[in-house]
Amino acid sequence: MDYFAGVTDALRVTFVQMMLISALAMGIFVVGMYMNLKKWGMGSTGYGDTPSKSILAFPKMLMYQMNEHAHVHNQSVLETFVLDILFQRRILRRSPLRWFMHFTIFVGWMTLFALSFAMFFVEMVHMIGEKVGYAHSLPEFMYPEIFRELLAVPNDIFSYILLVGIIIAIYRRLFVAKVREATIAYDSILLIGLTIITISGFVADGIRTGRFWGFGIDAEIAPPMALFHVVISLLFCIAYIPFSKYIHVIAIPLALLANKGGE
Amino acid sequence: MAKREPSINTENFTAVQLMELDSCSRCGECVDWCPTYDASGKDPGLAPRDKILRWREYMNKSYGLRAKLFGPKEIPEEEIEQFKDDVYGCTTCGMCATVCESAINTVELWESMRANLVKRGNGPFGKQGAFLKLIGEYKNPYMADNKDRTNWFPEDVKIEDKAEVLYFGGCTAELRQRKLALATARVLNKLGIKFTMLGEDEICCGSALIRTGQYYVNDVAKVNAQKNIDNIVAKGAKTVLYACAGCYRASIIDWPRLTGKELPFKVVHITEFLQDLIEKGEIKWEKSIDKKVTYHDPCHMGRHVGVFEPPRAVLEAIPGIEFIEMDRIKDNQRCCGAGGGVKAGIPDLALGVASTRVEDALATNADLLSSACPFCKRNLSDGRDAIGAKELEVEDVIVLTAEAMGIDLSDTPE
Ligand code: HEM
Ligand code: SF4
Ligand code: SF4
Repeated sequence: MDYFAGVTDALRVTFVQMMLISALAMGIFVVGMYMNLKKWGMGSTGYGDTPSKSILAFPKMLMYQMNEHAHVHNQSVLETFVLDILFQRRILRRSPLRWFMHFTIFVGWMTLFALSFAMFFVEMVHMIGEKVGYAHSLPEFMYPEIFRELLAVPNDIFSYILLVGIIIAIYRRLFVAKVREATIAYDSILLIGLTIITISGFVADGIRTGRFWGFGIDAEIAPPMALFHVVISLLFCIAYIPFSKYIHVIAIPLALLANKGGE
Repeated sequence: MAKREPSINTENFTAVQLMELDSCSRCGECVDWCPTYDASGKDPGLAPRDKILRWREYMNKSYGLRAKLFGPKEIPEEEIEQFKDDVYGCTTCGMCATVCESAINTVELWESMRANLVKRGNGPFGKQGAFLKLIGEYKNPYMADNKDRTNWFPEDVKIEDKAEVLYFGGCTAELRQRKLALATARVLNKLGIKFTMLGEDEICCGSALIRTGQYYVNDVAKVNAQKNIDNIVAKGAKTVLYACAGCYRASIIDWPRLTGKELPFKVVHITEFLQDLIEKGEIKWEKSIDKKVTYHDPCHMGRHVGVFEPPRAVLEAIPGIEFIEMDRIKDNQRCCGAGGGVKAGIPDLALGVASTRVEDALATNADLLSSACPFCKRNLSDGRDAIGAKELEVEDVIVLTAEAMGIDLSDTPE
């Protein structure tokens, strides 16, 4: 059983191996988030109260704040979710260029994540179908080869959207003096990691299809390149979240909710 | 070998605040806008982003993955002392919260850091340490006899024994800037509004203790808030008026938080009260004030509570005043530099910030820089003197109101 983004029999990445890596990434993520929750839970559930040291302290305090009356902004959870979390208007208010940079990263990343997940799902359903015997009754688009072709164009589009954001971010970190001087490893690791993943994705696809991003590299290298892309994506984009600046993907929406979109 | 203890603890932080440390995306907006960072000559330690980074690192050194596996990493005491100095170099103006792309409630975070460091034995800063003793002993931070709060009012001022309206004067106006307190009392008298005051039963609102992280020591702030609340209720008040942004913020936000109960009365800033009367046409102006006036939003009333319009409405209603705005106003206002204990703890820094704010006012060519807080007035006046801008008057909105109503304040005692 071959698996994922063009990995062929040549490398024999088995479903089991892939599942193991995915499970490992998820496992590390869950353990990391549990540790974060415990760390946050060392705080109290009310201003000036003593630390509760319970794993529930964070959800409790979050609920308390979300239900508390705010004097300045008292906006609804829905407004916070749509305008502040999805649309990220707090970044837009400060700097349209930075908003554009981040929004392209955000939309690109989220969509590619969703598309990869959909691909994974289709392969699963199909594979189980083959074992159980319903595979032949699946609609045509649910065949992995066909589904992959369906995703090819959106995959391309959102990869480029992501790339645009990354290029702006790299430019800022390298060439805007104030940003460069304030950059620490915490910032650069996130950006470097994301860049490597994105570029490796382009290259893996390019080698497979023999187009621009292949740089004329022999198609035989396609499977290991694809494997590399998949493995670091899983480890960096999922497992590493709780331990890096990636945590902002979870923590910023939580802060926005807790503070009703902020002052 | 016994496992080493972490160098810091999480006392006085809420669970959400510890999470907020992880939600700083290091965008740098707060650094661009922080008034004390700016006035310090861009001392890197004062940058809000940097304070969040340092405490996050302290947390990880003490409780992160590596600390769990190999024991906590020690944080040198000098580093924590330095951090303490930096976290007190902040007026709690809230500008960083307004611009924060991650919506971090920074002011509360700084106050929690301060409280934590007070408990740890590092804080507070310089002269702020005396607040607790003074307020405990004198019920005000000025070492004044608490009887002197209201016993100086000239004979003509009528203060009821009990009334539905109570004017909470506050330590600074009653004991140091009496013109402001007298203006408020006479304006209310002239409008025929029966009001009462707490007099010698009034206790410091707690702002000085809360902002400097000393509120929980012996529960002083909480006990005092409750006493004030009980005394206000005993006076029969349903509406409590404030002409001080610091007391106003402490009452409307901190008292309910400290006591865990909603207040049994309405908290109203005097300018809100006046705006309402102006709209009803109940104020008769007798004098014209022919000046170009600009207005400085006190942080604790503007950004913290959202009262922006009422003082402007009052100024615009006063005959003769040509009202003109500075560049940075309302949400975006630049702090006067006095708050958060900075005036008492680091006067030079307070003066630096004030000077910049006075420059803002001078840029509008205004004759008079007004505000709605005795603390802002004091510090802005000092800032004006520091840069020698003698031609600029600094005055409170309520004093201007009194003058325009034909009230004489020349008999204000020192
Ligand atoms: C609801 C979700 C998210 C919110 C609210 C959010 C917010 C932010 C903010 C405020 C910044 C600072 C931008 C600046 O420098 O002005 C930032 C940086 C960044 N975010 Fe997000 N983010 C979210 C999700 C994501 C996701 C899903 C990714 C995907 C990888 C991502 C990747 C990045 C990167 C790479 C940076 C650093 C850019 C740089 O180097 O300056 N974010 N984010
Ligand atoms: S509250 Fe004001 S003074 Fe304090 S760190 Fe924030 S911007 Fe600076
Ligand atoms: S504005 Fe907020 S997110 Fe940005 S650096 Fe400052 S604290 Fe961090």
